[in-house]
Amino acid sequence: MKVFGIFVVVCLAFASARLTCEHKTPKIPDDWIDMSSICVKRIRSHVTEELKAAMQYMAMGAHFSKDVVNRPGFAKLFFEAASEEREHAIKLIHYLLMRGQLTSGVSDMIKRNLAPSTIIWSDGASAIRDALQLEASVTKKIRELIKTCEGEPTFNDYHLVDYLTGDFLTEQYEGQRDLAGKLSTLEKLMDSHGALGEFLFDKKLL
Amino acid sequence: MVLGIMKTVILLLTFAALALCADDFCYKDTQRACSPTSSKLVTGVPNCNAKYGAIDKLQSSLQKYTNELLYRSFDFLLMSTFYGNYIKNRPGFEKLYRTYSDSLWNDGIELIKYIETRGGTMDFSNIPNNILNLENDGSESKPSPKPNWELNEYTSLAKALDLEKELAEDIFKIHLDADSLKPGQHDAEVVHHIEEEFVSKHRDAIRKLSGYTYDLGKLLDTPDASLAVYMFDEFLQNDKY
Repeated sequence: MKVFGIFVVVCLAFASARLTCEHKTPKIPDDWIDMSSICVKRIRSHVTEELKAAMQYMAMGAHFSKDVVNRPGFAKLFFEAASEEREHAIKLIHYLLMRGQLTSGVSDMIKRNLAPSTIIWSDGASAIRDALQLEASVTKKIRELIKTCEGEPTFNDYHLVDYLTGDFLTEQYEGQRDLAGKLSTLEKLMDSHGALGEFLFDKKLL
Repeated sequence: MVLGIMKTVILLLTFAALALCADDFCYKDTQRACSPTSSKLVTGVPNCNAKYGAIDKLQSSLQKYTNELLYRSFDFLLMSTFYGNYIKNRPGFEKLYRTYSDSLWNDGIELIKYIETRGGTMDFSNIPNNILNLENDGSESKPSPKPNWELNEYTSLAKALDLEKELAEDIFKIHLDADSLKPGQHDAEVVHHIEEEFVSKHRDAIRKLSGYTYDLGKLLDTPDASLAVYMFDEFLQNDKY
């Protein structure tokens, strides 16, 4: 009995000495993981591009929220665009996870270098023009991604290319058309009624 | 006689100078802008802004805090991402950290709006040292080890708890500055805003995470820790836990 008591105490001491925090890493076949490494690398860096665009829109939202700029409609448009860009980054991350990626090297995927380059705009029209250019540059980068991922000699990534074309490019082209239309309306409004035109357009955006 | 006139002129000039000093008011600006003698091009209304209280003193720390919120939201996003991969495969943890990421992102946007409401501006390059991974020890800043967001379940909860506490303590510091009863530094409105928007949110996150850490610690101290983590993750997916 005594011996059994000691045995229990020793067991308890052993059990409480250290928690099992790391668990077995299971062996999973990996022949289903078929993305090419260069393509993965490009998608990972495109996540940063989307987040940079998000921060750029954030700076636009901040500018138009200023007391001495006071264009809440423009601010709303740009803050919403910022969150949308972040959603795009997250969609790409989810895609990589679905394809069996991101089991390592996650920590350095987003760096501390996202501060936007432009922070002041002379008026609403110039900010929308910048936004349109930003979207066009993102579209161009997505097209380059598509080229890389379908052009791999040993592995044409049909599914990813379809996703980028059908989902991402659609959103880009629709967004660009929307911005171009807004810019056109705004410029026409401001043709002979500069300040009044921008004021009215801003309220339409609310 | 000449001396008398000179004295009067000097006196008048002094009054004029005093009047200029007291000119920091929007009303005077608008009056000047409307006066028939002023040229339309040179006038402006520089004093018609939203600034009052101690916003100029507090602006920089509010900018830093905004950047801290935004970059921490990315850190939580990476923690969430790691739990979403097929090897980790813990949807509960993935969801938990994504919730924190979303909430910090939205708080960042709201804080930018707040700074602008008070007549300030946002500076996205004003990033605090703890975010740049610089440890300030006296004279020089040196880089600390690279952040690692690929943690096991138990230590990731601990990390999340530490991060939430850091966010809570950092907003307390701004609160202390705004609440210091020194003239020129006191800003009751900033104090109120911090209390209204941040203080209780942090309290709840910290309590929740400390509870999770306690529970998981207990569960890991059982014969089948691996099954325990699976069950814990199932509970995390449930909004009631």
